[in-house]
This record gives sequence, C-alpha cells and structure tokens, in this order.
Amino acid sequence: MEQNTTSRIAVRVADIWKSYGGTPVLKGINIELLAGQVHALLGGNGAGKSTLMKTIAGLVDADQGTVEINEQLLGKASPSAAQALGLYLVPQEAHILPNQSVLENICLGLKAKPRALRAEAEALLRDLAVSLDLDAQAATLEIADRQIVEIMRGLIRKASVLILDEPTSALTPHEANALFDRVRQLRAQGVGIFFISHKLREIREICSVISVLRDGAIVLSGPLSEYDDNQIVEAMTKTVQSAQPVARAANDIDFGTRDVVLEIDRFSGEGFRDISFNVRAGEIVGLAGVVGAGRSELAETLFGLRPARGGNLNLLGTPLTKRSPRDCVDAGLVYLPEDRQQNGLFLEASLAWNMSGYTMHRLGFFPKRKDETSAFDAFRQSLGIKCEGEGQQAGRLSGGNQQKVLLAKCLAADPRVLILDEPTRGVDVAARNDIYRLIRELAAKGLGVVLISSDFDEIEQLADRVVVMAHGLQCGALEHDAVTVDAIAHLAFESGSHTDA
Amino acid sequence: MLDFFARNRVATLCAVTILAFLLIGAAAPGYLSLSTASVVMSNSLVLMSVALGTMLVILTRNIDVSSGSVLGLSAVVLGMMLNDGHSLGLAIAACLLTGAIAGLINGLLVTMLNVPSIIATLGTLGLFRGVMLIMTGGNWIEELPLSLKALADNGSVGFSVLTVIVIASLIVVGLFVRQTRFGRYFYAVGDNREAARHLGIPVKLVQIAAFVAAGVLASVAGMIFAAQIGFIPNQAGNGLELKAIAANVLGGVSLLGGSGTVPGIFVGVIFLTSIDSALVFLKIPAFWNDFIAGAVLLLVLLLDGRVRMAVDRAIRAKRYAVHHHNHSDQSAAPGSDVLPKTRIQEAGK
Repeated sequence: MEQNTTSRIAVRVADIWKSYGGTPVLKGINIELLAGQVHALLGGNGAGKSTLMKTIAGLVDADQGTVEINEQLLGKASPSAAQALGLYLVPQEAHILPNQSVLENICLGLKAKPRALRAEAEALLRDLAVSLDLDAQAATLEIADRQIVEIMRGLIRKASVLILDEPTSALTPHEANALFDRVRQLRAQGVGIFFISHKLREIREICSVISVLRDGAIVLSGPLSEYDDNQIVEAMTKTVQSAQPVARAANDIDFGTRDVVLEIDRFSGEGFRDISFNVRAGEIVGLAGVVGAGRSELAETLFGLRPARGGNLNLLGTPLTKRSPRDCVDAGLVYLPEDRQQNGLFLEASLAWNMSGYTMHRLGFFPKRKDETSAFDAFRQSLGIKCEGEGQQAGRLSGGNQQKVLLAKCLAADPRVLILDEPTRGVDVAARNDIYRLIRELAAKGLGVVLISSDFDEIEQLADRVVVMAHGLQCGALEHDAVTVDAIAHLAFESGSHTDA
Repeated sequence: MLDFFARNRVATLCAVTILAFLLIGAAAPGYLSLSTASVVMSNSLVLMSVALGTMLVILTRNIDVSSGSVLGLSAVVLGMMLNDGHSLGLAIAACLLTGAIAGLINGLLVTMLNVPSIIATLGTLGLFRGVMLIMTGGNWIEELPLSLKALADNGSVGFSVLTVIVIASLIVVGLFVRQTRFGRYFYAVGDNREAARHLGIPVKLVQIAAFVAAGVLASVAGMIFAAQIGFIPNQAGNGLELKAIAANVLGGVSLLGGSGTVPGIFVGVIFLTSIDSALVFLKIPAFWNDFIAGAVLLLVLLLDGRVRMAVDRAIRAKRYAVHHHNHSDQSAAPGSDVLPKTRIQEAGK
C-alpha cells in the first residue's frame, strides 16, 4: 500500500488517562501515528475515540499522560497550540459560523492574504470535485456542504497531521471517492491521518493500520491486513457478532394482502414534487437518494413541519388533511428527524423528558414523574440504552444512545407509521446493529416503516421495497431481491448525473 | 431593490430615518437645519459611545448591562481627580483606566469564572454604581473646571472635540472589526463559539477584549457626559445600558452574536436621539419621549422582520422553482433489472 521509508512519528500518545466525574473514559492509551500513514480508529459508543482525538487536538485536557505532535510536546490543552504543531481535527459534526461567508468559514484564522486564500479554496474545490459558492452565507448550506467546509478547513491548513472524524457520514459516494483520492494524495505527501469511521469498507479502502478502542482502552492494534471484518467487530463489541448480522426479511412475505397504513398520492411541496407510494403494515419502505434529493423535505412536509403544495396523504385509510406535528402523532404518524442535535433532542433536558416529547400533551396538566420514569425504564431495557438513569442529560450520551432515546420518544407515542430519517448517521457498528434489529422487530409487530437513508447498504439490508428520489422527483422503485446497492445507486445517481459537475 | 433592503437592516433604517426627518420637516418647518443636526449629533455622543462598546460585546454573543454604571463610576473618578487639582490629561487617563478595569472585571467573570454575561454584568451594574456612591458619599460632583467643559464647546468649526473623539472611535472600531484578523474573531466567537475554538481562535481573549473595549468606551461616554453637563449627579448613566442595547437592535446587531456593523450603530443612535429633538419641534410634551421611542422601536423591528420573512419566502420559492425546472429533463432513468418501476411524470413547466 504505502512505503514508509521514513518512519517519522507524526503523533505519539503516551499513557493518556481521562475521566469525567469519576467515570474513566480513557485508561492509559498509547498510540502512534507515522507520517504518511492512514490509521483507522474504531470503537463502539462511548469507547473513548472522540475523547482521545479531542485530547490530541488540544480540545480536552487529559488527567495524565503526554501528547507529542511532530516530535514536539503539546504542552497545554489548546487547539491553537495543536494547530501550531501542524495538527487539525475535522470533527464529525461540522462547526459552522452561520453568519459568515463560506470562504470566511474555511479560511478564518489563517494569516495569508484574502486573495491567495480564495485561490487556494477554489483549487481545493476543483480537487474535491464539488461545487460550492464561496460567497454564500454559511447558514444556507446543507449538511453535506457543511461537512465539505470542515474538510476543506483541514486541507487548506496544510496540516501535517489530520484527524478525520467520520468525514463521509454526510457525503455522497461520489464526493467520498473524491475525498479518498485526496487522502491518498496527502498520504503520499507524508501527512499522517487518523481516520475514524464505522464503515469497514471505507477503512479497507484507504487505511493501512487499525486500532480498536473499547471501554477506554486499545484492544486491537496492528496492520489492517492481518484482521478480517469479523475479528474487528468482535474486538469492538467483545461478543462474537457477524459484521452483518441482520438477515434480510424473507422474500416470500407477500405484503400485498396487508392493510395499507400510509398512502401518499402525488404529494408535492417545497423541494419535491409528485411523490406517490404506499406503505403496508409490517413493511419497511426505503426512501433512497443522495443528500439533497428532497427526502427530508418530503418527510417534514408529511409530518406537517412544512407547507404542502398538493397531493393527498391517507393514514390508515383516512385522509389526513389538517396536519400539524401533533395531529400526525395523534393519528399514528411519527417522524424521527435527521439531525438529532438540532431537531431531535433537548440536549440539556433529562432523558425522561426527552422521551415524553411526543406525548407531553397526553400526560395531563401535572405530568407524573413516576409514569415517565417507569416508561423510560421499560424503553431503556428493551432498546438497550446505556445511561446513568432517566435523569441524565441527553447531551451527555453518545450518538448511538441518543438515537435510541429518540427512537424511544417515537415509540412512546404508540405510532402505526414511523418515518426514520437517517437513523444510524454517526452511530457506531454495534449500536447500528441494535437499531437495525429494533427496526426489524417493529416492522414484525405490524408497524409501517419509512426508512430514509443515504447509506444504500442500510437500505439493502433493511428495506422490503425502496423508492428512489433524485432532485425532488421520484425516479424509480425496487422490490424484494431487486433492492441492491448497485440498483439503488444506479437510479439515484444516473438521474442526478447532470448536476454533479 | 426589495432584496437589498431585506438583506440590509442599515439601509432600511436609513430609509425610515430619512423619511421620518422629511415628515417632521414638513410638519415643523425649521426642523431640517444644520443647527438641528448639530444638536442631534452632540446629544447622541454619550449614547453613541456606549452603544459602540455594547456592540463589541454583543458581537461575541455576550451582553453588557453594566455600562451605565461604568459611565457613572468613571465620570466620578474624572470629576474627583479634577476637583483635587490634578491635570486634565491625568484625570482623563484615570477615567479611561477605570473603564478598562471595570471591563476587565466583567470579562474575567464571564470567561474565567464562567458566569453568564447577563448575570455577571447585572452584578457589576449594582457593584460599580455602589462603588461610585461610596466614593462620592452620595453627593453630586459639581463645579467641574472649565478646561473639561471646554471640550464640549462647538468652536468656530461647528463641532466639538468630543464629536471628533466619538467619530474617530467609530472609524477605528469599524475598521478594526472589518479589516483586521483579530477584529473578525469578534464575529467568529459570537457566531459559533465552539467552531471558533476548533479553529484555534483565542476565544476567551476575544471576549475579554470586547468587555475591556466596552468599558473604555463607557468611560469615554462618562467623560463626554461630565463635559457636556458640567456636573455629575448620582444617577449619571442610569438606564443608558438598555438604550444602548435598543440602539444595537435597531442598528441590526444580532443579539445572538456574530452579526452587526458600526454604520448600523451610528444610524440606530441618531434615530433614537432625533426622536427627542423632533418632539420639541412638534411641540409634544417631553414625557411622551419614552412611549414614542418604544413604539417606534417595535414598529421598525416588526416591519423589518416581516419584510425579511416575505423576501426569504420569495427567494425560497424561486430557488425551488429553478431547481425543478433545471432537472425536469431527467426522467430517463436507465433501464435495469428492476421489477416494478415508476417513471417520473413530467409536469411541463
């Protein structure tokens, strides 16, 4: 793969310990990154990956231990000190300055002349094969574009050490490939890269070394070629588990005879037009497409968050004409939004409060704390939510557990139709498998599920039927065995290929 | 055109201000004159200076409600030093230093002790006023020397030294926040603090700098106040902090941080101040001032918000329309080994 003739050490982490409120998160981590190496870092929920990377980037102050970047000690925990030593962390959730221009977002803090920076940014855009208006206000950017801005921040700083925290989670395969090309280029130039991802396929593609974290310690480390996928997943989860444990539903289930629970007929709104499909009881219908295809807009319109422009929506055979989120919830339609930080959770509030979000109006004027607690405990057990208790703040949970809390919130409303928007974005392999299993179980109980996902593997694994959207229009549907990654990608990208330039 | 006004609060406010001037001018002949302009300008100096400092703090997504007390305290320091026989230069230096220290205390409370800025400055609002009263023993400071009052005189040129100082402050701050790297950090820190931290921006230092600058500008206002009035009452600067915040809001400074301009502050302050002088010309009793200022503030903000929303809607509709139009020729999804397949129905648009 790569030649490390010069095995200069880019990052050396020695015996890092860190605990939050008495709970140890990192327990004596030692890890080395060589220049010109792409080092994969995996780990489950709360394994300590993010904390470790934030420690290296100077965002978190370790209790004990040292971080050396390019053979110089990182004296105090400060991002600017780490950057001065040549390191940049591209975080998983893009940090955007909404009121500034895209260009300022990328270049802020750099000392070069504005004109030179603009030229560099434009060159980078060409390299990454993305089109982005540098003068647009950053608030107008979609999630995928925000992530591109973050990645560009890292690249334009010409860091000699990069940390990429799930960089592809909001990118289209096309953009992800361009990013990987760029990563290979950087690797050849001797840049050391920590690459965090939950997608083993990606890791195989560009990484040469792997470390797996579990419970704050490194449990597996070495050349990637020495481990197969099952060994890696096993190391992460401790229990023996197949990398793809969820079997597709049997193809012989004939949903045709079941009741139609959701019927959408020539539905139009902002960002999409003339969408028609049915969901039957117990059926998982995938809504596939690239980011920006109009799927979230469709879901938000169905759920009454945006105005519709025409078309009908029948829920359980009855037209749902007056739609507000509460009407939808009461009628049995519940939506799990894409961006859990922004639209899903009350980050400061307790888990129990979060969970009763959709059912608040049914709890009476004086909601009984006991009811909420017992309901939460039931979900905690059935969904396997790892937390300190119902009083814990939602913002303190890891991504996978936050997603489970949101799922509990949806289920608490006792829905008949569930719209899940990217339910496993930024969720690790183990939690993702949990969530897949839950979705299957819910469908088996007779719920109709609409699964919106840009991860075509996910659709292939879960969906009984898939509707593909591109540019706000329905461009195809697939059923049973025809639901394959290739077939979905074919529909989603061929229909959109005109605008990818 | 509509687009321009929707994106530009300052332009909207300018237009409203000019319209208001014209209307008042029509109703009260003689209002539109150089002498009115001169009066409005000199009446606005105190508020202008305080509002400018407040803007710097608001840009970083904090708030400073202590500036009225800082004004009072630093004015008292100035007055007491002058009456003790110190030179004007030394007294002004002490006055500015007082403001800087007060600002530094605010800044340290907010950044080092992590006190939310509204609480920290509510505390120091009382604290600084208290220190001032203890220093004066509750008495007014009177008989300030002529050398200080001379600063407020409109000489033969028609404007005073104070006006020059305030205009210079506006220009310096305006250039600083727009043209320097450190100035841009003020916007970045207020826009998204976590992002700024990630980018290696010294987030705490920027916030402290904003509070110190606000303190110094409040003490400049204290000096102006003392020079213009010639004495320092106990309640000097009382309530000015809220007026300064109102001027910020009027001038398009977002209370959520990260956006706002110095020209906006200028227009906002002139607008608020000119209401007072207009009432005199319209022969409306002075006790109407607060009512009218409040009503106008709400009116402008509501109008502005409505227009903005309408334009945003129009822009969004346009974007989606274009969106559809551009891609309406893409029904030709390639055939594959697909079972049932719905083709796009073309709505010929």
